Amino acid sequence: MSGRKTYPSPVSREAPEGFTQAELRDPFEAHVGPLFERETDDGSRVAAFYVDERHLNEHGELHEGMLMTFADAYLGSAAHRVTEGKSCVTLSLQASVTGTARAGDLVTCRTWVDRKTRAIVFISGSFTVGEETVMTATSLWKVLGER
Amino acid sequence: MTDFTYPPKDPELAGEPIHATGYGGFMGPIHRQQRPDGVRFAVRIAPHHLNGIDRMHGGMTMSLASLVMGEVARAEAASRSPAARAKTLSFNCDFVSAGELGDVVTRATRSVLFLSGTFKAGPRILMTASGIYGIETLTGEEGGVS
Repeated sequence: MSGRKTYPSPVSREAPEGFTQAELRDPFEAHVGPLFERETDDGSRVAAFYVDERHLNEHGELHEGMLMTFADAYLGSAAHRVTEGKSCVTLSLQASVTGTARAGDLVTCRTWVDRKTRAIVFISGSFTVGEETVMTATSLWKVLGER
Repeated sequence: MTDFTYPPKDPELAGEPIHATGYGGFMGPIHRQQRPDGVRFAVRIAPHHLNGIDRMHGGMTMSLASLVMGEVARAEAASRSPAARAKTLSFNCDFVSAGELGDVVTRATRSVLFLSGTFKAGPRILMTASGIYGIETLTGEEGGVS
């Protein structure tokens, strides 16, 4: 995986304090990025992005489609890490949209591994702006090459 | 630094883009096509819609679903009251197969507020999705489906 090509984002932003910019190997994630990451003391990963005008709906609020993309990227990344680097593809994702965000807001994502079998991984995630939860998601991932 | 442009309409797709700017404009263009059997939405998969293994990114597929179903919900809300808007409460999707570069992904619209969609590339189903939308009026009521 580490040798794969990375793609630049069309917008550049300074990383939030404590975060580093993610190296994005998926063109669509680069298209909507930049995305940022940091490791926590317990070894889990927190991801983040700044909302800008590319991410807004016609009411000037964050479009949930961008949250879906962010969820797919980082719930998928959690599946990839818990399977020790195997490729995983999205089978299913369920999201409850509990809030929204505006341009300039920093959206962060935390993930949990709910269950891991040889072929299927269950990952959930929480998306927050400051103290407010804007979306919760649960997802199923297929581990490629496992039956 | 901000250095991006919104993509223009696709000259080879019928209809007009549903959004010129914002998220729907930036990840599109998504064209709305009026057909004898109803409204159809279409987007052509471009290189920037892909993941690292050259398939349509799952986030792109879900974004497309939420944009198209949001557009249907918006139109339904507006038909009830000009001041009403539709707000996404829940969104669920199941992936069936992978989209590839050059595929044209389409959805035919059906039903109201409890929306469901099937996203296809030609005859092949890529994803099925369902969403629940609340109608919000200017008086601040939320989620009321009358």
